[in-house]
Order: sequence, then structure tokens, then C-alpha cells
Amino acid sequence: MSDVMTTRQPNAFGRLYQGLTTINFVGRRKVWFTASLIVIVIGLCSLGVRGFNLGIDFKGGSSWEVLAPHSSVSAMTTAVQNAGLPQPTVTKLGSSTYQVTADINSLSQSAQAALTTKVVDAMATTAGVNPIQVSTASVGPTWGGQVTSRALEALLVFFVAVVAYISFRFEPKMALAAFVAMVHDLLVTVGVYSLFGFQITPDTVIAILTILGYSLYDTVVVFDRVRDNTGGVLKSNQMTYSDMVNLSMNQTLARSINTSLVAILPVLSILVVGAYILGATTLQNYGLALFVGLMSGAYSSIFIASPLLAGLKEREPRFTDLALRVAQKGESHIFSAREAAMLSSEGSQRIAGASARRPDGSVIAPRPRKQKRR
Amino acid sequence: MATQTGSKRSLLVSLILSLVIAFGSLGVTLGLGWGPKLGLDLAGGLSVVYKPATPATPADMKEVVTILNARVNGLGVSGATVQLQGKNVVVSAPGVKDARSVLAAVGQTAQLLFRPVLCMTTTAKVVHYVAPSKLPACGAQYLDSEANLAVTPDNSVNGFSMNQSIPPDPAFSSIASTSASADVASDEVILPELGNPGVRLVLGPAQLSGTAIGTAFASLTQTNAWVVNYTLTKSGSPLWDNVAQTNFHRQVAIELDGVVQSAPLILPASSAFTSYNGQGQISGSFTQSSAKNLAVAMQFGALPVRLVPLTTQTVSPTLGHSALVAGLGAGLVGLALVLLYTILYYRALGLVILLGLGATAAFLWAVISALGHTAIAPTFSLSGVTGLIVSIGITVDSYIVYFERLKDEARAGRSIRTSVDRGFKSAWRTVLAADFVSLLAAVLLYLIAVGDVRGFAFFLGLSTLMDIGFTWYFTRPLVILLGRRSSQGDSKLSMAAGLTPGGAHE
Repeated sequence: MSDVMTTRQPNAFGRLYQGLTTINFVGRRKVWFTASLIVIVIGLCSLGVRGFNLGIDFKGGSSWEVLAPHSSVSAMTTAVQNAGLPQPTVTKLGSSTYQVTADINSLSQSAQAALTTKVVDAMATTAGVNPIQVSTASVGPTWGGQVTSRALEALLVFFVAVVAYISFRFEPKMALAAFVAMVHDLLVTVGVYSLFGFQITPDTVIAILTILGYSLYDTVVVFDRVRDNTGGVLKSNQMTYSDMVNLSMNQTLARSINTSLVAILPVLSILVVGAYILGATTLQNYGLALFVGLMSGAYSSIFIASPLLAGLKEREPRFTDLALRVAQKGESHIFSAREAAMLSSEGSQRIAGASARRPDGSVIAPRPRKQKRR
Repeated sequence: MATQTGSKRSLLVSLILSLVIAFGSLGVTLGLGWGPKLGLDLAGGLSVVYKPATPATPADMKEVVTILNARVNGLGVSGATVQLQGKNVVVSAPGVKDARSVLAAVGQTAQLLFRPVLCMTTTAKVVHYVAPSKLPACGAQYLDSEANLAVTPDNSVNGFSMNQSIPPDPAFSSIASTSASADVASDEVILPELGNPGVRLVLGPAQLSGTAIGTAFASLTQTNAWVVNYTLTKSGSPLWDNVAQTNFHRQVAIELDGVVQSAPLILPASSAFTSYNGQGQISGSFTQSSAKNLAVAMQFGALPVRLVPLTTQTVSPTLGHSALVAGLGAGLVGLALVLLYTILYYRALGLVILLGLGATAAFLWAVISALGHTAIAPTFSLSGVTGLIVSIGITVDSYIVYFERLKDEARAGRSIRTSVDRGFKSAWRTVLAADFVSLLAAVLLYLIAVGDVRGFAFFLGLSTLMDIGFTWYFTRPLVILLGRRSSQGDSKLSMAAGLTPGGAHE
């Protein structure tokens, strides 16, 4: 059909760029699902055994931060212990920020205030700065519960709204598939957090909510294409529903990968530049969750949501019949985006090979023709 | 609308207008010297979340917000906000240099109480604690009774004379002052007096709370003395008269947060009790600031419920500044990486993304700065920066969806001229559907979540709206116009360079 396809063997990226990929997303769904299941089960096991590394916002406690380029963890620890702080944890954030955390909620309010003043003064002296340069945070034992319950509330409302929207705008089965993909991302992120012992803060919760929104956004773009393509699938008798999903996936694969890259690049920048080089802890909290979640979100919209949708739809009698008819004709085939484009252009008498390549690699586009209105 | 791609003229107008509006508004904002209202974590400052100690009605909580607002503003802290979030009150004062002193002033969480003064005592070096119910009674000769005080109206400067030499009661001198947690309105207490070190007052159970006070303000009399004038509420007026009559020619202590703010004598210049008729004046040896503080305490000190701090956060200006640098740095590096990638991948079309992102960023900065001058927008905090950085992905995705559609159309052998029109129609629908999901997430988070999450959601939603606007008014006209011009496109900069199969990567 096309000499470009047969005479040259481009590498993976080239194939993607030129729309030549013919990956069987639906047919190999057991592979994708199993891979996800393994990751999720490992994460949940870790959750059962190790639990979460909760930040002071959830457990309650106090933390102090100061910028001290010429200090050390041991000097800081000695200083705050001498100030009377029981069991302090001292960590170095970024290149020169020191964070001291301890739980002093058992003390009375006035004793807490007095101890805080002592710790602030001790840290300021060690860092050689004015006490107003020390940041403080103290969290009562009940605050974390509120943050968690509000986040769960937001999560539930979000789930319901999203399922309703997709059911209305697309169809209920797409809503179900998108929902499963979201839960997948949630479980993967939570599991990774437990597995690597990353600290959970309210920022993490925000980030997770964003990931779910983003993962869904990604899924909606793919489903939009599926809906487009499957509009006339019952009439054609050439392709099954799964074939159409595969085609849609291959058509949107370049977009999915580009979009994910474009989303992950700034997040990587948050993590590397913002958090590790410049040492902003809030950025680190966001960055980690977003990074894990975006990877999972990109994976789930390609490898979970769409294959699942195909599986659900193939159970509908009309699509089961269609699959039988196509099988009898022996035409089931995974089309690349390029092939599909050529098929559709044959109908409107356009010839795919019409554009001529010049020696320098640029291309002369076909002469513009009178546009045919559909 | 989406089916009509428009004439060349209208496309040009739309393109030019969108660029003029975006960069023009940025110019105006910069010219006016406006900037975003920076949040706590970027500017440094203070944030406290309070919870009512006992269940409170929504009306009570509204009053708490009003009072805390007045306290914060009374301190002259600019840009401070007090907000009700759910059942909690959030006080934030970004940009405050010495956050701890502000915290001390705002954190006065106790009620304002009026207590009769029983007797005076001194502070002792060795103290022990005695339960309120087991406090000894004041000795007869130490009692601040009407007889001992012997207030007599006369024609002196003050208008009265009195016995100033009632000695402190030694029975209390080794008993500790009442702690904040034991300071209950219905108990007897021992409290220090403001501006009077070494002296403590033994006070009876409270007879009235600060809710009786309507307004209070400091003023200068004709004799150049500072006084505090106050008015009473309609319901408070008879109650106050009642207290005044009971304590006629004796002292009533005004207590705020375990400290006696002032202990004025009742009607010392009158020979018999007369009704206050809803207003009164406290005179004494006030300075300007002590009179103002007392007025603020009387008017705004009366919280209907006791507040407990749930979480307190102070951020030093240096740490805030370094976070701002980190956030901006991360954003710029991220943006540069994204642009580099898209230009490598889409060639000439990548330049469209560059211009589009530049225009979006310019307009976004202008809008955020303008919103910083209103009360609606949350302050621009690190979570807001993150929201914006995340939205880079969503914004660029709209271009990617469109350009991938263009590639599809070009693969089908259609001319670029035709592709740009057809491609936009299908891409526009996808962009709308996907951006709606992102908006949905932003709106829900904004409505439900607490604290920083709201800032994050606000800026995410704002940039998603901008994405929709720029896709229609900027990307559409620019790419369609480029597409119509590129029939002779054989240069490296022509649109074809980013579209055609095998053009860029082999």
C-alpha cells in the first residue's frame, strides 16, 4: 500500500513520530493488568506491614526550620537538645536548610510556647542569625484528622462528579473504565509512598487529587478518539470494537507520550531544581507525588482504561456479533495511524503517496485542492 | 461557533487582539508596579488555624472572625486575612517581619470579663498552687470594700479623694497566679495587672462579659489626659448598670486573657449611683498606647467562644524568599525543557507553542497581579506556583492534541490548508472535554478543601480557563493563517517541517 512502510525500517521513536505503531493494546491486556497488579499488591503489602510515614500535620507535633549554610546536623541536634527538646529529629533539606521536628503536644500550652522560644533561640544562635529567621510550625493532634477527612470528602465528591460527567458526555462504560484507571493511580501512588517511606503531608494529598484529575484528563482525550472512531464501527463490518480501540490508541499514542513528557518535565524540574538544589520542602512534597502519579496516570490511560473499555464493550451482544462477523471475513487487523489515514482518504480519492520527498529531507506538500465538505 | 473557522480578516483580528491584550495587560500591570499578593510561604509571615473549644453556632463564628479581623487590623498589619473555613478560623498575615509578636497579640483567645476587685497582693518569689475553691478570704483590713476605699467626691482635679493606702494582703503572696486553663469566669482568681508590675489582684467571679460593650475608643480630654470612652449594647446597658450599682465606689477589673487590663473605680465623682445610660468613660494614668490597647481589648476582646490553636506556622522572610526563588527557578527550567522538546519535535509549530505560552504566561501574570489587588483571589503561595507549573502540561497538551490531529490529516494526504481547518474542529472538541475535567477538579477542590489546597485549585482553574481562551483566540487563527500561507512551504521554517512523515527524525 505504501512504499514508505515497506522500504524503510525506522526505529521506535521514528515509528511513533510517523504514526506507524501497531501495538496490540487490547489483545495483550493481561500483560498490562498483571504488571499493574504486581505493583499494587507490593504497595499494599508494604502498607500493611510498614504503614505510612506521616508528617507532623497528621500526627501532630512541631517543626522548626532555619537557613544555616555553615552548620551541621550534629551541631543543630546538640543545640536543640540543650534547649530541652525531647527526642528531636534533625534533617538537612536541600543544601543548607535544617529542619528539627519533635512532638511536644503532651506539654501544656504555655510550656509549649516557652520551649518553642528556647528552641528558636538555640537554632538561631547555632545558625548565627536573628531568631525571627527561624520558621516554626506546630500542629495539634486533631488537625491532621480534619485535613484527611476533608481530602477524603473532596475525593468522593470528585469521583461521583467525574463518573456522572463521563457517563453523560460519553457513556457509562467509559466512566467505569476511567474510574478504575483513577483508582489504579491512587493505589499505585499510595503504595509507592509506603514502599519508599516518603513522608505524607497535606501537600501530598493535594498532589494526589491533582494526579487523579490529570490521569482522567489523559483518559478523556483517548476516549474522545475512541468515540470518534467507533461511531460507524457496526456498519463497516471490517473492524471489531477492540480493533477500533487499538487504532485509537495507536493514533493517540504520540499525543499521549508527548503530553506525558511535557507534564513530567516541569514536575522533574520541581523535584530536581526546586527541591533538591534549592531546598524548598513544599515543592519536594508536591513534586514526588506528582512524579509518581503522572507516570502511573500516563500508564493507566494507555494500558488500563482503554483495554478495560474494550473488554467491557466486547461483552455487549452487538459487538460480540460484530467480532464474529469480522472473524468470519478474517479481516481483524491492527491498523497504524498511517494506514487508517490512508484508508479514510481512499474514500475521498486522495492518494497517500502524493507528497514528494526532496533530497534535503523536507517535503513538498500536495497542491491544495478544492476542499470537499462532508 | 466551533464549526465556523472564519475569514482571513476575522482570524487576523482575533490573533492580533489576543496578542495585544496579553502583552498589553502585562505592560500595564508592570507599569503600575503591581505584583501578585505573595502567600505566607513565599513572603514569610504567620498563619494560625483556630478551632472553637466548645461547639459554636455559625453566628458565633462569624463574630469571632469580625473580632480577630479587628485585632489584626488594630495592630497595623497590612494584608492580613481572617477567614472562616468550615468550622475553623484561619488567620494569616503574610509579609509580617516579627511573626511571633503578632502571634502573641492575635493569640489572645480568652474572653473579656468584668470582675469585682476583692483585694490586692504582691508577687512572691516562692509560689505554690491553690485550687480556686480553696483560696483564702481577703482579710478585713485589706478588703477593697466601699468602707476601706472611702471614696468621697470633692472639688479636686480628679473630682474625688480616697484612701490610697490599703496594704496588700500577705495571705495571697505565696499563692501562684491563676493559670490560663484554670481561669474560669465563675471562679475566684488571682491575676497580674497590666503596666503594674509587682502587683496582683484577687478578683471575684465575673459579673459580666465583654459582649455588653458596644464600642470603645481612646480619646484625649481637654486637660490633655488619655481616656477610654465606651458605649454599651442595648441589652448590655441594664446589665452594666447592675454591675456598677453592686460595685458602687469600688473597683471593677477588666480582664482579658488572664491579665487585668484596667481596674477602674465606679463613679468616684458621684455621691450616689446613677444609670450610665449606655455609655461611660474610664480615666486614669493612661498613655496614648495604653488607652488604645484598652479600647481595642474592650471592643474586640470579647470572643463569644474560647479558641484553641490547631496549627500554627511562621515562616521567616529568608526561607520565604528562598522558596520563591526555588519555585520560580523550577518553573522556568521546566518551561524551558518543555519548549526545547516541543520545538525539536514540531519544528516550526514548536515556535507557535513558544509564542502561545509566552502570551498565556504574560496574561496570566497580569491577571494574578490584578487579582492580588482584590479580595477574591487567594494569596499566591508555593502551592499556587505548583498549580501553575502543572498547568504548563495541560496548556501545552492543547497544542499537542491539535498538532497530532494535523499530522493525521496530513497523513491522509490532505493539504495543510485543509488540514488546519479540519484538524482544529476535532481537536477543539477534545480540548473542551479534557479541560472541563481539569476545571471540574479545580472547582471541587476549591470548594471543599482547606488551606493551601484552595490556592492550588484557584490557579489551576484560572490557567485552564486561559488555555481554552488562547486555544480559540490565538492558536486557531495563527495556525490556520500559517496553514493558508504554507502552500509553497519548502523552507525549514514552514509548517510542513513539523508535520510531514519522516520529516524530522530518521
